[in-house]
Amino acid sequence: MDMDMDIPLPEELELLEANYQDLEPPEEEPPDSPPCEINAHKRPRADAPDSPIEDDQPKLDDKRTRIVDDVDEDWLRYSPPQEREDSGVAVEEKFVSRYASEIDGDFLPVTAPSGGDRVYVKICRIVGEDRGKKLDIKSRSNGLTSEPINVLLQKVEQETFTKALNSSSEGQTVESLSGKPLVHEQLWVDKYAPNSFTELLSDEQTNREVLLWLKQWDACVFGSEVRSTSEEVLSALRRHSSIAQHQKQNDSGLPRNNRGRRWSHGSFRHSNDLEHENSNPKNIQDLWNKKTRFTGPPEQKILLLCGPPGLGKTTLAHVAAKHCGYRVVEVNASDDRSSSTIETKILDVVEMDSVMADSKPKCLVIDEIDGALGDGKGAVEVILKMVSADGKSNTGKENVAKEEQSGKKSSRKGRKGASLLRPVICICNDLYAPALRSLRQVAKVHIFIQPTVSRVVSRLKYICNNEGMKTSSIALTALAEYTECDIRSCLNTLQFLNKKKETLSALDVGSQVVGRKDMSRGAFDIWKEIFQKRKTKRERKSISSGSSMSNEFDFLHSLISNRGDYDVIFDGVHENILQLQYHDPVMQKTVNCLNCLGVSDLMHQYIMRTQQMPLHVYQPPLAITMHRLVAQIQKPNIEWPKSYQRYRTTLMEKVDILKSWHCKIPPYISRHMSKKSFVEDSVSPLLHILSPPTLRPVALHLLSEKEKNDLAQLVSTMVSYFITYKNMKPDPVPNNLGNEVALDVSALCFDPPINDFINFKGYKSNHYVLALAMKQVLLHEVEKQRIMQLSFGKSVNLTDGHGEHKGLVREEVGKSGSAKINQGATSAELMANAKNLLYPRQCNPSTSTVSSTMDSSRSSTASLKPKFSGDTKKQSNSPSSFFDRFRKLSSKSSQDTDTAVQKASTAQRDSRPLLFKYNEGFTNAVKRPVRMLEFLL
Amino acid sequence: MLWVDKYRPKTLDQVIVHEDIAQNLKKLVAEQDCPHLLFYGPPGSGKKTLIMALLRQIFGPGAEKVKVENKNWKIDAGSRTIDLELTTLSSANHVELSPSDVGFQDRYVVQEVIKEMAKNRPIDTKGKRGFKVLVLNDVDKLSREAQHSLRRTMEKYSAFCRLFLCCNSSSRVTEAIRSRCLNVRINAPTEEQIVNVLDLIGKKEGLELPSGFATRIAEKSNRSLRRAILLFETCRVQQYPFTSNQAIPPMDWEEYVAEIASDIMKEQSPKRLFQVRGKLYELLINCIPPDIVLKRLLYELLKRLDAELKHEVCHWAAYYEHKMRLGQKAIFHLEAFVAKFMSIYKGFLIATFG
Repeated sequence: MDMDMDIPLPEELELLEANYQDLEPPEEEPPDSPPCEINAHKRPRADAPDSPIEDDQPKLDDKRTRIVDDVDEDWLRYSPPQEREDSGVAVEEKFVSRYASEIDGDFLPVTAPSGGDRVYVKICRIVGEDRGKKLDIKSRSNGLTSEPINVLLQKVEQETFTKALNSSSEGQTVESLSGKPLVHEQLWVDKYAPNSFTELLSDEQTNREVLLWLKQWDACVFGSEVRSTSEEVLSALRRHSSIAQHQKQNDSGLPRNNRGRRWSHGSFRHSNDLEHENSNPKNIQDLWNKKTRFTGPPEQKILLLCGPPGLGKTTLAHVAAKHCGYRVVEVNASDDRSSSTIETKILDVVEMDSVMADSKPKCLVIDEIDGALGDGKGAVEVILKMVSADGKSNTGKENVAKEEQSGKKSSRKGRKGASLLRPVICICNDLYAPALRSLRQVAKVHIFIQPTVSRVVSRLKYICNNEGMKTSSIALTALAEYTECDIRSCLNTLQFLNKKKETLSALDVGSQVVGRKDMSRGAFDIWKEIFQKRKTKRERKSISSGSSMSNEFDFLHSLISNRGDYDVIFDGVHENILQLQYHDPVMQKTVNCLNCLGVSDLMHQYIMRTQQMPLHVYQPPLAITMHRLVAQIQKPNIEWPKSYQRYRTTLMEKVDILKSWHCKIPPYISRHMSKKSFVEDSVSPLLHILSPPTLRPVALHLLSEKEKNDLAQLVSTMVSYFITYKNMKPDPVPNNLGNEVALDVSALCFDPPINDFINFKGYKSNHYVLALAMKQVLLHEVEKQRIMQLSFGKSVNLTDGHGEHKGLVREEVGKSGSAKINQGATSAELMANAKNLLYPRQCNPSTSTVSSTMDSSRSSTASLKPKFSGDTKKQSNSPSSFFDRFRKLSSKSSQDTDTAVQKASTAQRDSRPLLFKYNEGFTNAVKRPVRMLEFLL
Repeated sequence: MLWVDKYRPKTLDQVIVHEDIAQNLKKLVAEQDCPHLLFYGPPGSGKKTLIMALLRQIFGPGAEKVKVENKNWKIDAGSRTIDLELTTLSSANHVELSPSDVGFQDRYVVQEVIKEMAKNRPIDTKGKRGFKVLVLNDVDKLSREAQHSLRRTMEKYSAFCRLFLCCNSSSRVTEAIRSRCLNVRINAPTEEQIVNVLDLIGKKEGLELPSGFATRIAEKSNRSLRRAILLFETCRVQQYPFTSNQAIPPMDWEEYVAEIASDIMKEQSPKRLFQVRGKLYELLINCIPPDIVLKRLLYELLKRLDAELKHEVCHWAAYYEHKMRLGQKAIFHLEAFVAKFMSIYKGFLIATFG
């Protein structure tokens, strides 16, 4: 045989087509031969080498001939109720089983050639004969096919004749071509394009699923004649396979008929079940169940075929659509694909019926839908719109479907214009193109995989033979491998070579003018190629290692330069290179690789700076160098390079933190603190200074004078550096700074989180962490200090007077700090302060005493009217700041003694009877309206 | 207020460490003719302090009244307009900014600011100081283009505007600019100078300094005065009555680098290199410049190394630092250095111990 079984004999095909074309109402089909033929007869046939279509055939034959009628519960489960009476004949016995033990009596093992599944079939002649008799009766009453066998045979003859005629005429054209070279020659790609389903080279599973999907449209598309039509096609399809299996096996078409046409439905479903037994039977069963019950269009209204070019996606779409009785309308990238034009086009396809005689329904094939971005999107949008419109009207789908059974024409018009009533097949190369993102979710996606090389080669061989071209299968294999099974490219190459009267030799496939696809691969593929040594046949076959090296070089070079995204590629290499297992005793290879990375970085930087993009050509060799150094045979575990990006983003965050903090620090400090050297030499000491271990977490009035001084200094540092504490949720990651912080429910952390700057992973710093109580005190103090600064900050010359000002602030902090500790004493003291304000003359001495311990003790005894309590809080700061201001004014030139200040301030005070200052935003007491008069008492 | 800020000299007379420079600057100002100045020196040596003191010397105390401004510039660059935002510190007589913050568009800032200053020329009644001062920080980080545009504007507007440039290394300032300025090198203070300063601060704070303690801090400070004073204060905070052998808290990142170094010394393999990479990333994330990391790492490695290898390792460190400066992704070069070191060290170990 000149070809494999998957390329059916022309006769068969013609017969198929003939059958398909003039399929009469199936009632007239007479069963041809009785099914009494013992199944065992068919077994060897099943084991015979044959095409994948036929792979499942024996099983389904078995099933059909013997079981179709009598498969018991399964049958009932799947079939619609009205078919039940037919199945009444069911015999309660297992005939086919996976386990021999389940069959009593004689049985025969059957092995499916495709999956190697083994089933056991019971041999029961009596039943078969029984059935045979029954069937015989039927078959005699009405034949299997519409025409008697002799008519069919005649037809077959005629077809072969025409075929022969055609081929001979083709031969003539070729001859004439040699004489007259200008004559246009048909491209082999077109000439040998598959015309029927069985001729397809693409993966069987995909083919079937595409067909299945198209079938689901039958009910919707073919309207009232849904049953008959679908059955026509179905039976035709089934006949295909059976005939393709062996032409003599006419009996395979028979059992369908002995039950009448409704059976065929079921039987086909069964066969389908069987066919997909090893893939996803459940899913498909469901689909089919649905299909038999509801006659609407399938769930996913769009089929998206994707795969690399040249595998026959378009061909499959065309063939399948034709096969199912559609007229194909193709929109491809060369057409105008703006959304308006495509919408009208789709509507044309979907809504209108052809006025032509054949009046086949149309099927829209949108080719290269991922191709054009701007306009291609229009198409996607329109389709999506239609699908969603359909989804809305989905509720009414069932009655619509019913209507369609009766008078669908009107109902179709009544429907919203933009809904899909015809199958739409979209074809793309890159499934993950951004334009297809939304489409991917609604469409049924099929990914094409490469057909096996042997299939492609056999097909190529067949074509070459037909064309009279001398080739060796080795060369063809090499060609197919080289083009990655791109049939189109193979054929074009062959035709080109044929034209040039050259022969294809296996060794120089690469060097010959075989068009290489300019295909870019994903970054992961590239990393894999870099890290993994290829062990392909091509390399092994090549004679010298030198040529293999150059081959490899060429391959990698084109691969990498096609991708072009060197930055990402080298990042990925950098990320993953150290995870490889390569032999490297003195790290020489690692050093070299990292040097290469360094060079690539330098080059990248230079290119970017000078904008000399042509220099990019020097990038791929670096990657190839690394490949030579570290490539291993085992599969590398590749990760997407994230760490560099993470580093970039975190660095930006930290720099931002620093920047914003830097802006808040008063300029006389911040100008001396550079952002870049802050972490380098300031942060660690600063953190130490900010949390002094000498500070005892005790009540402030228990602190000694010196400790108070320290505290005041600390607060002033925090204020001047704009650092405070802030409530933070406890880190999920235990804080490195100290465990007690992490354990606290509401831990107080530094507000610009400066401690994060020394928070290195896996590093434990020995910074002392203040107790929570201490932090709270500090927080309070700092806040107070800030408010105070704001209140009179404008009048104070910060740069000039901050030295002196600081001293005062410290005093005051000492005072108010002590006030903070015990609330009772605090309020009392504050009241005392308020009172001081009211009776300035009396209280002046007490206010100006810097150490206010006396103050608190005194004021605790002081009896005050409760009506003042509301304001005391507010004014707690104002008295001191009030005095400070005067003090400052007077003490600017020289450090005055307290008494001098006191005098000056009292003198000032006396000139004005009352000074009222309102400090907004700091109160933790009850508010109460107070009249000015009350202060003036 | 930290001691660093508290005891910062305010006037040129108060300057202790670079006294000679301060006096020279004072004379320069006294002659009413201040040229453009370029201050360069390592961090923590007192460049900024000197500049501030100088400004005060020129303009009087008014120079210290500064306000922080977030300035926006709209610049016409042919077809498009560029929006820039930069923080500036300005007083009546001077503007201070670090144009390298805006990245590669620093050129526009430099031109624009100087023009603006020339336009709003201060009207001094006495006609004495007819110029403003522009203080530019991190001049070495300026792009080449910005430096080129700077040199023209420097000449053109020199009547109205003086430039005080401040940078760490003059080698990355173009010749053209260097020749237009009076270069003032501020070297890092010697350890004795640091000890002097610390003694002075101790005296002012009324602290008892045990003998030798200040010297130890000075040794630890890497000849950076800022760091020395901060360390001094840290010690004060941690334990006041000083003992002469008191622990001086180390810089955390330096400790971390030391950890990395000991990791490297323990094992030399790609696996280990991968761990080291993670740690290097940690350092870089926390805003520590890669060249500083490399320098410190080299320092730590040299401490642990045999004398015969030191030369070679230093050579490679310099080589990779050079590449790092040329390139963009510092981690590649840092890692390459570590790998190189591992390779050298492992070869050495094998050669020595077989």
